Amino acid sequence: MDLSVPPDITFVVLTTITLLAAIMALQAKELIYGAISLAISFIGIAGFFVSLDAPYLGMLQIAVYVGAVVVLILFTIMLVRREEPDKDESPETGEGAAGLWLAGLLAVSIAGIAALAGPNLPATPPEANLPISQLGPVLAGTYPVPLIIMALLLSGALLGALVLAKVDK
Amino acid sequence: MPTLVSYIIVSAALLGIGIYGLSVKRNAIRILFAVELIVNAANLNFIAFARFMNPPRVSGQVIVFYSIAAAAMEAAVGLALILVAFRLNSSIDVRKLNKLKG
Repeated sequence: MDLSVPPDITFVVLTTITLLAAIMALQAKELIYGAISLAISFIGIAGFFVSLDAPYLGMLQIAVYVGAVVVLILFTIMLVRREEPDKDESPETGEGAAGLWLAGLLAVSIAGIAALAGPNLPATPPEANLPISQLGPVLAGTYPVPLIIMALLLSGALLGALVLAKVDK
Repeated sequence: MPTLVSYIIVSAALLGIGIYGLSVKRNAIRILFAVELIVNAANLNFIAFARFMNPPRVSGQVIVFYSIAAAAMEAAVGLALILVAFRLNSSIDVRKLNKLKG
């Protein structure tokens, strides 16, 4: 890790980017801007992965989420866009407050449990880091069956998406 | 290096944002955004726990690999469903998708 930047600053910057972009993704007026904020939030998560010694997954995160999922979402937004902006985007009165309460209660209770368990959780990661070369043998050697099932599931899901989106003539 | 608890708190905040979007938003595409955020919160937890284990375990990264693949499928199928809903209803407001209501 680059020692010229203290890791804590990296963490704070990544947290700010990820959470602000996530809020923007849901609250942005235009759906297109929301999708771009979602991409920024995914890049922040990829930064977390890299800082946690998982560079391969950071790369995969950017390739799959930013490269594939967000682009797919952008195409869908263009396909379903109406001329007039959605007037009914804002929640009904009371609904927004209820959602905020639900989300806040859930997040605060999980964070509270984590903070209570804090003394039992490791404060610093062990020195030995994970070499990227370990991932391949574990993926194909220890867990080969899930890999095959995942391949079948992927082709099934893509076929299903094609059949769903097909226009019947 | 930040502690494991700080990563869990970030993940919980991301989950909260996702739950808020899931329960309040009416646009189907925004609901899909919220689902993706929740999946990412779970992935972040897996990676953080894998790194903080002693000795570090690579299995946590393997499960996130599968999770990313599953999220890609979910996005493809979800967007196809949104396209079908738009074609049938000419709207993707989930409150208007009440054809199954008696």
